[in-house]
Amino acid sequence: MELRVLIVDDSSVMRAFIRRVLELSGLEIGLCLEASNGEEALRVLENNWVDAVLTDINMPTMDGEELLRRMSEHAVLRLIPVLVVSTDRTEGRVQKMLTLGAKGYVTKPFAPETLREELERSLAVVNGTE
Amino acid sequence: MEPNEIQVGLAAAVEEVLETMCFTSVLASGEGAAPAGMGAGHRTASVSERTSAGSEETVPDAAARSCTAELHFEGNPSGGCRVSVPLKLARVVGAGFLGSEEMEVSDSQAEEVVCELANMICGSVLSRLESEETFRITHPQLVPPERGAGFENAAINRWFDLGDGILTVTLELQPAI
Repeated sequence: MELRVLIVDDSSVMRAFIRRVLELSGLEIGLCLEASNGEEALRVLENNWVDAVLTDINMPTMDGEELLRRMSEHAVLRLIPVLVVSTDRTEGRVQKMLTLGAKGYVTKPFAPETLREELERSLAVVNGTE
Repeated sequence: MEPNEIQVGLAAAVEEVLETMCFTSVLASGEGAAPAGMGAGHRTASVSERTSAGSEETVPDAAARSCTAELHFEGNPSGGCRVSVPLKLARVVGAGFLGSEEMEVSDSQAEEVVCELANMICGSVLSRLESEETFRITHPQLVPPERGAGFENAAINRWFDLGDGILTVTLELQPAI
Protein backbone atom coordinates (compact mmCIF):
# COMPACT_ATOMS: atom_id res chain seq x y z
CA MET A 1 0.00 0.00 0.00
CA GLU A 2 1.35 3.40 -0.93
CA LEU A 3 1.58 5.77 2.02
CA ARG A 4 0.40 9.38 2.02
CA VAL A 5 2.30 11.48 4.54
CA LEU A 6 2.36 15.09 5.68
CA ILE A 7 5.67 16.58 6.86
CA VAL A 8 5.31 19.63 9.13
CA ASP A 9 8.48 21.62 9.85
CA ASP A 10 9.31 25.32 9.54
CA SER A 11 12.66 24.47 7.95
CA SER A 12 12.42 23.71 4.23
CA VAL A 13 15.77 21.87 4.30
CA MET A 14 14.58 19.65 7.16
CA ARG A 15 11.38 18.86 5.24
CA ALA A 16 13.55 17.96 2.24
CA PHE A 17 15.77 15.77 4.45
CA ILE A 18 12.79 13.87 5.90
CA ARG A 19 11.24 13.48 2.46
CA ARG A 20 14.50 12.04 1.11
CA VAL A 21 14.85 9.65 4.05
CA LEU A 22 11.29 8.41 3.51
CA GLU A 23 11.82 7.95 -0.22
CA LEU A 24 15.05 6.00 0.36
CA SER A 25 13.67 4.00 3.27
CA GLY A 26 12.00 1.32 1.20
CA LEU A 27 8.55 2.44 2.31
CA GLU A 28 6.16 3.00 -0.58
CA ILE A 29 5.50 6.72 -0.44
CA GLY A 30 2.68 7.66 -2.78
CA LEU A 31 2.21 11.27 -1.73
CA CYS A 32 4.39 13.51 0.40
CA LEU A 33 2.72 16.77 1.40
CA GLU A 34 4.46 19.57 3.31
CA ALA A 35 3.49 22.37 5.70
CA SER A 36 5.66 24.90 7.50
CA ASN A 37 3.62 25.13 10.74
CA GLY A 38 0.61 23.66 12.51
CA GLU A 39 -1.91 26.09 11.06
CA GLU A 40 -0.79 25.33 7.52
CA ALA A 41 -0.89 21.62 8.33
CA LEU A 42 -4.54 21.84 9.44
CA ARG A 43 -5.42 23.58 6.17
CA VAL A 44 -3.69 20.82 4.19
CA LEU A 45 -5.57 18.18 6.21
CA GLU A 46 -8.93 19.85 5.44
CA ASN A 47 -8.56 18.76 1.83
CA ASN A 48 -6.23 15.78 1.95
CA TRP A 49 -6.35 12.47 3.74
CA VAL A 50 -2.94 11.21 4.85
CA ASP A 51 -1.84 7.99 6.53
CA ALA A 52 0.57 9.75 8.88
CA VAL A 53 1.73 13.20 10.01
CA LEU A 54 5.38 13.81 10.91
CA THR A 55 5.69 17.05 12.85
CA ASP A 56 8.30 19.21 14.50
CA ILE A 57 7.37 20.92 17.80
CA ASN A 58 9.10 24.29 17.79
CA MET A 59 7.48 26.24 14.92
CA PRO A 60 6.11 29.77 14.51
CA THR A 61 2.38 30.61 14.19
CA MET A 62 1.22 27.22 15.53
CA ASP A 63 3.61 24.76 17.13
CA GLY A 64 3.50 20.98 17.02
CA GLU A 65 1.96 20.70 20.46
CA GLU A 66 -1.06 22.82 19.46
CA LEU A 67 -1.35 20.92 16.17
CA LEU A 68 -1.48 17.65 18.07
CA ARG A 69 -4.06 19.06 20.49
CA ARG A 70 -6.31 20.28 17.64
CA MET A 71 -6.02 16.96 15.82
CA SER A 72 -6.86 14.98 18.95
CA GLU A 73 -10.03 17.07 19.42
CA HIS A 74 -11.19 16.48 15.85
CA ALA A 75 -13.46 13.51 15.15
CA VAL A 76 -11.63 12.49 11.96
CA LEU A 77 -8.13 13.90 12.28
CA ARG A 78 -7.64 12.11 15.60
CA LEU A 79 -7.51 8.86 13.63
CA ILE A 80 -4.31 9.90 11.82
CA PRO A 81 -1.13 8.72 13.57
CA VAL A 82 1.25 11.55 14.43
CA LEU A 83 4.99 11.03 14.71
CA VAL A 84 6.89 13.84 16.43
CA VAL A 85 10.33 14.66 14.96
CA SER A 86 12.07 17.15 17.23
CA THR A 87 15.41 18.24 18.68
CA ASP A 88 13.78 18.30 22.12
CA ARG A 89 14.59 15.01 23.82
CA THR A 90 13.77 15.93 27.38
CA GLU A 91 11.64 13.31 29.12
CA GLY A 92 8.97 15.81 30.15
CA ARG A 93 8.41 16.96 26.57
CA VAL A 94 8.35 13.42 25.15
CA GLN A 95 5.78 12.32 27.73
CA LYS A 96 3.63 15.40 27.11
CA MET A 97 3.49 14.77 23.35
CA LEU A 98 2.70 11.09 23.83
CA THR A 99 -0.04 11.99 26.33
CA LEU A 100 -1.52 14.41 23.79
CA GLY A 101 -1.83 11.55 21.34
CA ALA A 102 1.44 11.24 19.43
CA LYS A 103 2.05 7.64 18.40
CA GLY A 104 5.82 7.99 18.19
CA TYR A 105 8.72 10.33 18.90
CA VAL A 106 12.01 10.65 17.03
CA THR A 107 14.72 13.03 18.18
CA LYS A 108 16.93 14.97 15.75
CA PRO A 109 19.57 14.00 14.84
CA PHE A 110 18.26 10.62 13.79
CA ALA A 111 19.53 7.77 11.67
CA PRO A 112 17.36 7.12 8.58
CA GLU A 113 16.46 3.63 9.78
CA THR A 114 15.22 5.07 13.10
CA LEU A 115 12.68 7.26 11.31
CA ARG A 116 11.48 4.35 9.20
CA GLU A 117 11.16 2.01 12.17
CA GLU A 118 9.31 4.55 14.29
CA LEU A 119 6.93 5.43 11.44
CA GLU A 120 6.20 1.76 10.80
CA ARG A 121 5.62 1.21 14.52
CA SER A 122 3.25 4.20 14.69
CA LEU A 123 1.26 2.91 11.73
CA ALA A 124 1.14 -0.57 13.26
CA VAL A 125 -0.21 0.82 16.54
CA VAL A 126 -3.05 2.58 14.73
CA ASN A 127 -3.81 -0.39 12.50
CA GLY A 128 -3.94 -2.67 15.51
CA THR A 129 -1.15 -4.94 14.31
CA GLU A 130 1.05 -4.24 17.31
CA MET B 1 29.23 21.30 35.63
CA GLU B 2 32.92 21.01 34.81
CA PRO B 3 34.29 22.70 31.66
CA ASN B 4 35.84 19.40 30.58
CA GLU B 5 32.46 17.69 30.88
CA ILE B 6 30.93 20.35 28.65
CA GLN B 7 33.71 19.98 26.06
CA VAL B 8 33.19 16.21 25.93
CA GLY B 9 29.41 16.63 25.57
CA LEU B 10 29.87 19.28 22.88
CA ALA B 11 32.29 17.12 20.89
CA ALA B 12 29.98 14.10 21.05
CA ALA B 13 26.95 16.18 20.05
CA VAL B 14 28.63 17.72 16.99
CA GLU B 15 30.01 14.38 15.81
CA GLU B 16 26.59 12.74 16.19
CA VAL B 17 24.81 15.48 14.24
CA LEU B 18 27.34 15.59 11.40
CA GLU B 19 27.59 11.83 11.01
CA THR B 20 23.87 11.01 11.14
CA MET B 21 22.42 14.00 9.28
CA CYS B 22 25.20 15.17 6.95
CA PHE B 23 27.14 11.92 6.47
CA THR B 24 30.31 13.87 7.32
CA SER B 25 33.06 12.84 9.71
CA VAL B 26 35.09 15.01 12.03
CA LEU B 27 38.82 14.60 11.29
CA ALA B 28 40.04 16.43 14.38
CA SER B 29 38.69 18.76 17.03
CA GLY B 30 39.94 20.78 19.94
CA GLU B 31 39.17 23.42 22.53
CA GLY B 32 39.29 27.12 21.80
CA ALA B 33 40.06 28.64 18.42
CA ALA B 34 41.32 26.46 15.55
CA PRO B 35 45.10 26.44 15.04
CA ALA B 36 46.18 28.93 12.39
CA GLY B 37 46.17 27.58 8.84
CA MET B 38 44.10 24.51 9.65
CA GLY B 39 41.29 23.49 7.28
CA ALA B 40 41.16 24.09 3.54
CA GLY B 41 38.02 26.20 3.85
CA HIS B 42 39.32 28.35 6.65
CA ARG B 43 40.92 30.97 4.47
CA THR B 44 40.99 34.67 4.99
CA ALA B 45 41.43 35.63 1.36
CA SER B 46 40.02 38.92 0.26
CA VAL B 47 39.65 40.92 -2.90
CA SER B 48 39.69 44.61 -3.56
CA GLU B 49 36.50 46.18 -4.84
CA ARG B 50 36.01 49.69 -6.11
CA THR B 51 33.05 51.38 -4.48
CA SER B 52 30.62 53.70 -6.23
CA ALA B 53 32.47 56.61 -4.68
CA GLY B 54 35.62 55.53 -6.44
CA SER B 55 37.53 54.44 -3.36
CA GLU B 56 38.93 50.95 -3.07
CA GLU B 57 38.03 48.77 -0.13
CA THR B 58 38.89 45.22 0.83
CA VAL B 59 36.04 42.74 1.18
CA PRO B 60 36.13 39.02 1.89
CA ASP B 61 35.83 36.84 -1.23
CA ALA B 62 33.05 34.29 -1.52
CA ALA B 63 35.20 31.39 -0.27
CA ALA B 64 36.20 33.29 2.86
CA ARG B 65 32.70 34.46 3.80
CA SER B 66 31.45 32.77 6.89
CA CYS B 67 27.97 31.74 7.87
CA THR B 68 26.98 31.91 11.53
CA ALA B 69 23.76 30.76 13.18
CA GLU B 70 22.82 31.46 16.78
CA LEU B 71 20.05 30.46 19.14
CA HIS B 72 19.28 30.92 22.80
CA PHE B 73 17.82 28.62 25.41
CA GLU B 74 16.09 29.10 28.74
CA GLY B 75 16.24 26.55 31.52
CA ASN B 76 18.83 25.52 34.03
CA PRO B 77 21.26 26.60 32.73
CA SER B 78 20.18 29.30 30.26
CA GLY B 79 22.51 30.48 27.53
CA GLY B 80 23.21 30.46 23.84
CA CYS B 81 24.78 28.37 21.11
CA ARG B 82 26.53 29.65 18.01
CA VAL B 83 27.72 27.61 15.01
CA SER B 84 30.02 29.18 12.43
CA VAL B 85 31.42 27.78 9.19
CA PRO B 86 32.97 29.21 6.02
CA LEU B 87 30.28 29.45 3.33
CA LYS B 88 32.19 26.93 1.20
CA LEU B 89 31.99 24.37 4.02
CA ALA B 90 28.33 25.24 4.58
CA ARG B 91 27.68 24.19 0.96
CA VAL B 92 29.61 20.92 1.44
CA VAL B 93 27.71 20.09 4.63
CA GLY B 94 24.46 21.24 2.99
CA ALA B 95 25.07 18.90 0.05
CA GLY B 96 25.46 15.99 2.46
CA PHE B 97 22.30 16.98 4.30
CA LEU B 98 20.22 17.42 1.16
CA GLY B 99 21.74 14.53 -0.79
CA SER B 100 22.72 16.78 -3.66
CA GLU B 101 25.89 18.10 -5.29
CA GLU B 102 27.76 20.99 -3.70
CA MET B 103 27.18 23.17 -6.78
CA GLU B 104 23.41 22.62 -6.51
CA VAL B 105 23.20 24.02 -2.97
CA SER B 106 22.22 27.69 -2.94
CA ASP B 107 23.56 30.16 -0.38
CA SER B 108 20.16 30.33 1.31
CA GLN B 109 19.91 26.54 1.54
CA ALA B 110 23.44 26.35 2.96
CA GLU B 111 22.54 29.00 5.54
CA GLU B 112 19.34 27.18 6.49
CA VAL B 113 21.29 23.94 6.96
CA VAL B 114 23.70 25.76 9.29
CA CYS B 115 20.70 27.00 11.28
CA GLU B 116 19.41 23.42 11.54
CA LEU B 117 22.85 22.23 12.61
CA ALA B 118 22.86 24.84 15.39
CA ASN B 119 19.40 23.70 16.46
CA MET B 120 20.34 20.01 16.57
CA ILE B 121 23.76 20.55 18.16
CA CYS B 122 22.21 22.71 20.89
CA GLY B 123 19.44 20.20 21.60
CA SER B 124 21.87 17.32 21.66
CA VAL B 125 24.43 18.97 23.91
CA LEU B 126 21.80 20.18 26.39
CA SER B 127 20.31 16.72 26.72
CA ARG B 128 23.78 15.30 27.36
CA LEU B 129 24.49 17.86 30.05
CA GLU B 130 21.08 18.16 31.70
CA SER B 131 18.90 15.25 30.60
CA GLU B 132 16.19 15.86 33.21
CA GLU B 133 15.78 19.57 32.51
CA THR B 134 13.21 20.97 30.05
CA PHE B 135 14.57 23.84 27.96
CA ARG B 136 12.82 26.46 25.87
CA ILE B 137 14.92 26.97 22.74
CA THR B 138 14.52 29.92 20.35
CA HIS B 139 14.54 29.58 16.58
CA PRO B 140 18.07 29.69 15.15
CA GLN B 141 18.89 32.96 13.43
CA LEU B 142 21.68 33.93 11.06
CA VAL B 143 24.13 36.35 12.64
CA PRO B 144 25.15 39.33 10.51
CA PRO B 145 28.97 39.50 10.11
CA GLU B 146 29.09 42.92 11.77
CA ARG B 147 27.74 41.43 15.02
CA GLY B 148 31.09 39.76 15.70
CA ALA B 149 31.88 36.24 16.76
CA GLY B 150 31.42 36.03 20.49
CA PHE B 151 28.91 36.13 23.31
CA GLU B 152 29.04 38.76 26.01
CA ASN B 153 29.45 36.27 28.83
CA ALA B 154 32.20 33.71 29.23
CA ALA B 155 31.76 31.01 26.62
CA ILE B 156 33.10 27.61 25.70
CA ASN B 157 34.58 27.26 22.23
CA ARG B 158 35.43 24.17 20.23
CA TRP B 159 36.62 23.73 16.63
CA PHE B 160 36.02 20.78 14.32
CA ASP B 161 38.10 20.06 11.21
CA LEU B 162 35.86 18.51 8.54
CA GLY B 163 38.54 18.37 5.85
CA ASP B 164 36.85 21.02 3.71
CA GLY B 165 37.05 23.61 6.47
CA ILE B 166 36.62 24.34 10.14
CA LEU B 167 33.29 24.38 11.94
CA THR B 168 33.35 26.23 15.25
CA VAL B 169 30.80 26.01 18.05
CA THR B 170 30.47 28.51 20.88
CA LEU B 171 28.37 27.63 23.88
CA GLU B 172 27.45 30.22 26.49
CA LEU B 173 26.13 28.98 29.80
CA GLN B 174 24.78 31.54 32.23
CA PRO B 175 25.03 30.73 35.91
CA ALA B 176 21.74 29.87 37.60
CA ILE B 177 20.25 32.75 39.60
